[in-house]
Amino acid sequence: MFELHQHSIRRQGVTILHEIELRIEQGEKVALLGPSGAGKSTLLEALRQQQPLRSAWCPQQGALVPMLSVFHNIYMGALDRHSALYNLANLIRPMATQWQQVEQLAAELAIAEKLRTSVDRLSGGQAQRTALGRALFSQRDVLLADEPVSSLDESQGEALLRFALSRHHTAVSALHDRELALHCCDRIIGLRDGRIVIDAASQNLRIQDLNELYRRR
Amino acid sequence: MSKRLMAAVVAACMCFGLLACDPATPNKPVLVFSAIPDQDEARLIERFGKVSTYLSEKLDIEVRYVPVKSYAAAVTAFRNNEVQLAWFGGLSGVQATQLVPGSRAIAQGVEDPRYVSYFIAHRDTGIVAGDGFPEGLEGRSFTFGSKSSTSGRLMPEFFLREQFGKSPEAIFSRVGFSGDHSATIALVQSGAYEVGALSYQVWDKEVADGTVDTDKVQVIWTTPPYPDYHWVIRGDVDATFGEGFAGKVQRALLELDDRDVLDAFPRQKFIPATNDDFLPILDTARSLGLMD
Amino acid sequence: MNTTASRLRHTTLILAVLGLLALLLADISITTRDPGIELAHIGNGFLTPDFFSTEKLWQALGYTLAFALQGVAVGSAGGFLLALLWRWRAVRAASAIVRAIHELFWGLLFLQVFGLSTLTGLLAIAVPYCGIFAKVFGEFLEESDRAPARALPTGSDAFSSFWFARLPLVWQHMKTYGAYRVECAVRSSAILGFIGLPTIGFHLETAFRQGEYSTGAALLYIFLVVILSLRLWLRPVLLPLWLFATLLWAPPQASVTSGRLIRFLSEDIVPAPLRQSQWQWSELADWLLKLLQEQILPGVGQTLVLGMAALLATGILALMLFPLISSQFGHRLSRGAGHSLLVLLRTLPEFLLAFVFVLVLGPSMLPGILALALHTGAIVAHLCGRFTDTLNLRVDAANGLNRYAFEVLPRIYPNFLAFLLYRWEIIMRETAILGVLGITTLGFYIDSAFSELRTDRALVLIGAGVMLNIAVDAISRGLRQRLRLRHGLTDQN
Repeated sequence: MFELHQHSIRRQGVTILHEIELRIEQGEKVALLGPSGAGKSTLLEALRQQQPLRSAWCPQQGALVPMLSVFHNIYMGALDRHSALYNLANLIRPMATQWQQVEQLAAELAIAEKLRTSVDRLSGGQAQRTALGRALFSQRDVLLADEPVSSLDESQGEALLRFALSRHHTAVSALHDRELALHCCDRIIGLRDGRIVIDAASQNLRIQDLNELYRRR
Repeated sequence: MSKRLMAAVVAACMCFGLLACDPATPNKPVLVFSAIPDQDEARLIERFGKVSTYLSEKLDIEVRYVPVKSYAAAVTAFRNNEVQLAWFGGLSGVQATQLVPGSRAIAQGVEDPRYVSYFIAHRDTGIVAGDGFPEGLEGRSFTFGSKSSTSGRLMPEFFLREQFGKSPEAIFSRVGFSGDHSATIALVQSGAYEVGALSYQVWDKEVADGTVDTDKVQVIWTTPPYPDYHWVIRGDVDATFGEGFAGKVQRALLELDDRDVLDAFPRQKFIPATNDDFLPILDTARSLGLMD
Repeated sequence: MNTTASRLRHTTLILAVLGLLALLLADISITTRDPGIELAHIGNGFLTPDFFSTEKLWQALGYTLAFALQGVAVGSAGGFLLALLWRWRAVRAASAIVRAIHELFWGLLFLQVFGLSTLTGLLAIAVPYCGIFAKVFGEFLEESDRAPARALPTGSDAFSSFWFARLPLVWQHMKTYGAYRVECAVRSSAILGFIGLPTIGFHLETAFRQGEYSTGAALLYIFLVVILSLRLWLRPVLLPLWLFATLLWAPPQASVTSGRLIRFLSEDIVPAPLRQSQWQWSELADWLLKLLQEQILPGVGQTLVLGMAALLATGILALMLFPLISSQFGHRLSRGAGHSLLVLLRTLPEFLLAFVFVLVLGPSMLPGILALALHTGAIVAHLCGRFTDTLNLRVDAANGLNRYAFEVLPRIYPNFLAFLLYRWEIIMRETAILGVLGITTLGFYIDSAFSELRTDRALVLIGAGVMLNIAVDAISRGLRQRLRLRHGLTDQN
């Protein structure tokens, strides 16, 4: 599915990824862990470039258009499935069929009643649900998500992540909650300073192993 | 640094260049005259260049012509003593003599006491010249010349009101002001306006010069005669240029017999004029509400 | 929908409906029979420019720059002083009035007193620019951070605290804005030639009106080169030198006699009925009423119609043009071409564009609407396009129309609307001066009053224009506040 070999990325003279060797098979649910600046977002982007058409993308930056309603933000996941004119018509006035589909998804994400509200008026958690909704609505096999549930409390976060993972046969998501990663994912990749320092099945890992990643040197 | 230095050098050179063509004028008394811009500027400069040469020879002082952009600017310059002598139309002349006490009309063309305007129309309108006032003007688009022109606005509007008993805006679908007589011809010829009114002299001269496409535009009516263009001089010129100066200028104009200069106007010759000759124009302007 | 976009959409809808209504009311017919012929002549002129037909070209260029530089120098100094007193209502009102009157009308007023002189040229720019500078500088100071001043030791005198803790915060903004204003002033200065001052506009008007398009094209090319190269040779360090040079070459002077000023104040601007018959107040009322019915109301009506139609066209054009220069669309080559187009459109003074369109399309409102929309649309598109460069879109954002409609437009819309509403007042101001070209806005009646040598009427009409402008400004400000649109943009006006 994904394969990186001797993959390095430098930006403005700083090495962000350092000779990454990585294979991810179809069906794997992978968690990316590591302190901020370790290169998680960059690695996700590198993966996306390998399967741009099969990946549902849920980034941290610029994920949503603040002016627009939750409906429109979720609908944007499907822009490539319709003609531009059809999309434009839905921007001006949502069509009933589209509305139903989006509403169904929103109900599962617990934001159905916010469908008409613009994203800049949502709480952080609601916005994250919307961003995840947009990724889900793109109806692709692979989920690539960057901190998709960071603004939610533990139990809500876990439920939402499980729901998102269940909708994709393969998933890679950057997380900061180590327990969540151990519970929901079957493989953990730990990054530090642009290098992979942990790569193991989650059943073989304990929380202490993961804490090692974040320890100050 | 070297870039800056270069810029400074260039700037300094420009300064000297600018200084070299200093527009400041020497301090001798200069007779400055102007004229209403009723035609293409090139024609005006040609005509009044000849006049200033003639006058400076005759009067033995420097005479300079300054072009202005509008009829009002000509009157204002005259009023402000920026020009002491001016070739005005009927309306601008009475405006000037009303505004500057002591100023007076001194000469006019032999043709000017019986001046007329032409109404012209684009061929496509189907309006043609006949006996009396032409049919089918109502509802057309119509252009005057300058807002302050006698033959291009004042008298045509006067005759239109006399004919129809209502304002031009009520007669025509669209009323415009082309700015000058040449522009009126150009606009009617291009069809921007269907009908227009202008000085007969400008029309005749441009037709003679071959600049008018008479297949597209033709004269449809000639107005009754009225007094128009004349030379006006300020009353205080005698104090500036010496006793009897206004009289000298008047004589010089009346004695002008150089065909080259006269043809540029075009006038047969100049004859004496007085302010009273233009009282009818003053009355008309007041009745149309163009003067208080 | 309870979205931020829907509020913006409502306002847009209202403005668009008003604009469409205005378009319905406006006379937008093409009245020339063969617009193509004149266009071909003009096109031919631009292909065969004649650089040697105007002898006084360099002199005209010199005057153009002299009036512009001197006007900005005096205007910015005056504006700076007024900005210090910005909290006084009287100062704000005075600067609003002063900047509501177009340079061209200031020029016509000063012509009455100072004649065709360098002083008239200087003042015609300095006075309205003083009002503009006062507003912009005043708002800079108002919006700047006051914390540094508060952090000074208590007892620091106001003078020192201003120089040390207030001015440095806004100085850079002021400089940037000043540079932009110099460019505007060169345009204004050129336009003053249309009323007879010896700038490049004098020759431009003559050439275009008489159909000498080769001469006109040459003048226009030179004018464009001067404006576009302004930043190269008009360096801030050299500014004093340039100013000194223009002062030497064209010192602001006029053969003013005190009599002329007194005459202007005690005769010219006194309403006719008061002048003639010993202060007849009832006649004054009749005079004003007649002026209101025959000129002010129709003039204001037409100005509003033209202004609203132009605002709509500006908005549509800006939305169509901004992707040309936006880094979110196209590639380097297309953006380069887009930049060139926008620079060209916004460098040409709208008055000149309207002038050419009148020649080609005939005297309806269409030339005015087109000219205003092209010029202002290019400015708004430039500002919007530059703003989109700061957007960080997600890497999988859609392309083409989807990107435009879903990702970019919603994000820039508040800014777009703010830019447009800022421009509204300026469009109204420029609408008025299109009257000089025969489009029957308020400016048409003002121009008529001047050409009938009735300064008294001109002044009343200008007063009406000022009120209209201030009203539009207030509505625009109200709308911006209601929509919480961003404020304090340096490159406005």
